Amino acid sequence: MEIKTTGVAGTLESSDIQIMISKGSNGIELDLDSEVKKAYGDQITKVITETLQKFGLENAKVKATDKGALDCVIKARTLAAAQRATETSDEPELEVL
Amino acid sequence: MTYVKNRLRRTMMFVPGNNPAMIKDAGIYGADSIMLDLEDSVSLTEKDAARLLVYEAIKTVDFGGAEVVVRVNGQDTPYYDQDVKAMVKAGVDVIRLPKTESAAMIQKLVKDIEKWEDEFGIEHGTIGVMAAIESAKGVLHAPEIAEASPLMMGLAVSGEDYTADMHTRRYPDGRELEFARNMVLQAARAADVYAFDTVFSNMKDTEGFYRETNYIHELGYDGKSLVNPRQIQMVNKVFNPTKEEIENAQNVQNAIREAKAKGSGVISMNGKMVDKPVVEKANRVLETAKASNLIDEEGNYLGE
Amino acid sequence: MDQVVDLYLNEPATRKRWESFLSKLDLHNFSEREIKVIDHTLGLLDEDGKLVGTGSIAGNVLKYIGVCNEGVTAGARFNKIVTALQQYLFNERIFHSFVYTKLKYSSSFQHLGFTELAHTDQAAFLESGTPNVEDYLAELPKIADQANKKVAGIVMNANPFTLGHRHLVEVASQKNDLVYVFVVATDRSLFNSQERLQLVKQGLRDLPNVVVTSSADYMVSSATFPAYFLKSPEDLIKTQTTIDARVFKQVIAPKLSITSRFLGEEPKSYTTNLYNETLKQELEPAIAVKIIPRLQVNSEVVTATQVRQEIKTGNLEAIKSFVPGSTFEFIKENLAELQRRIKEGMNINGN
Repeated sequence: MEIKTTGVAGTLESSDIQIMISKGSNGIELDLDSEVKKAYGDQITKVITETLQKFGLENAKVKATDKGALDCVIKARTLAAAQRATETSDEPELEVL
Repeated sequence: MTYVKNRLRRTMMFVPGNNPAMIKDAGIYGADSIMLDLEDSVSLTEKDAARLLVYEAIKTVDFGGAEVVVRVNGQDTPYYDQDVKAMVKAGVDVIRLPKTESAAMIQKLVKDIEKWEDEFGIEHGTIGVMAAIESAKGVLHAPEIAEASPLMMGLAVSGEDYTADMHTRRYPDGRELEFARNMVLQAARAADVYAFDTVFSNMKDTEGFYRETNYIHELGYDGKSLVNPRQIQMVNKVFNPTKEEIENAQNVQNAIREAKAKGSGVISMNGKMVDKPVVEKANRVLETAKASNLIDEEGNYLGE
Repeated sequence: MDQVVDLYLNEPATRKRWESFLSKLDLHNFSEREIKVIDHTLGLLDEDGKLVGTGSIAGNVLKYIGVCNEGVTAGARFNKIVTALQQYLFNERIFHSFVYTKLKYSSSFQHLGFTELAHTDQAAFLESGTPNVEDYLAELPKIADQANKKVAGIVMNANPFTLGHRHLVEVASQKNDLVYVFVVATDRSLFNSQERLQLVKQGLRDLPNVVVTSSADYMVSSATFPAYFLKSPEDLIKTQTTIDARVFKQVIAPKLSITSRFLGEEPKSYTTNLYNETLKQELEPAIAVKIIPRLQVNSEVVTATQVRQEIKTGNLEAIKSFVPGSTFEFIKENLAELQRRIKEGMNINGN
């Protein structure tokens, strides 16, 4: 999968996470901002990275601003942002979830 | 989750499909049905994100035993196809079609559902459909819509769009909805499907909410659409059967048991025949009473 | 549930309601100058239709953000309006945004993933999104062992590039191993940003230790220093120049090992002169501020302002002695177009 533009999904509201994906060349470079980073940072990172890998993105810059999102929300937002970044939103890749 | 045609559906709570906080908590309020919305509450630019969120939520979030309904975008939008596909794959209980105006629209929805069921290897008939009636045309075609498919779960009146179509608006007394409410209810009863009343959005007007809920309960509606969880208990209160109704329903069941024990094909109570509508009503009353904790497992009355 | 709606400030009733809401939150600057640059405004309505929050967009800058937290979870409405503003920007394909805010609100924005670039006692300046300042700095050309070299920075609008600008860069390049020339990116001048950047590059092509690049949003931009482009009161200029200087000192210079900033002497422009004073105050002693006297040709100070005047009157001969060949060729070829821009109202007396 090729990133064509910057893609963002999710909001900054409680229980949500905002994911911004843009072009990168150094694997998945994740910048995570979360109030629960200490306790859940590893888990959030894992969910985002796995979702992107499953979607087929190997290189991407990812900025994530977490407001206490559940795993299912993190997955859905990551995929939505990735599909927007690759301009494939018209064909949801449900298999990734 | 699998669609069950007959179940208790007093409250259908609307939850915006792009709001994780509300989706996460939707199951804790005790609504009979939860309607996750991909249509009006989601802005055009967020349709794709909401669809994925709702898909993932259906697969992972505990909705506390509530029936899960999804309102997809209309058939005249570019979102409809992918909405239906995603919801079939997610295994939703019921798909609600907005702006339904003909039986053909429901039949198209059922066909589309079957197409995706085939693609994903899902058995036909595991997802029900319901129609939102939101226009004059929809109201006049309510009878054919109600009978459009064996998978039809029910009809819902949608007051905001309907009143706009009728060149009026919502009024506290509800006279502007009189014809639509009666027409939709008649159509639903004749086709043996459920009937749901429209939302009441002024949260401050508790008295008005009770007035409207009492009114539609009196007409014979099965349930009401809600936008606020606080309204769930209020609706349940209105729909609670009286002590007499419960006792009568319990007696009907006793009569059935005695008749069975005697091996008698005819069931009677107080000298009258107990026929199918009477049995069904008794079942409905007891189901509602149990859900509202008015009776315990043994049937002991717990109300005031 | 609160609802996000579009507000159209050109409707007098909406404008009045909006101003009175913000006034209650202690926001009072509703000058036309500030309002005119707003592209879009959003409102937040509660269940009764009461205005309980608002925010605006001007370019890639968030402005006039205010929420009423009465009776709701603190922060919920703020998060909602900032999310809505960002979504508006994302739809415009703008993924990088800024906010100028009172210092006390800086942490609220930081909670939403904004990074503070600089602050004063009064104001804070933050960015969000991508590409951010780290990305910007990472992409600039560097030389080997730069940390131990003498590196200087110059910021210029170059509207257009003159021999005066060239002189300033030459002086710097002789005294340093590497000079970064940042050309102002904001597009509010007679020569557009692409033309200005191009002419600076052409005019300095022969100097091997000079890197010419865009100042992006970080130096003298409509984000850091809007007053540079619009006539503004002195306290506003003071705040903005301080922010601009601190971004340079704390964010730009350290990454590029810049230890001096070269400026042209500024006897004429009030705003630029104030800017130079602030730079001296803020940058030194960490970064040396070198103010270089203006180049004179035939005992006349070379200024871009003068060149623009001559463009207006079409006096090519007068221009020739003030600008390098590349700039002159450009003006000659595009004289009609430049004059058309002036006729259509482009201000040529500012910066």
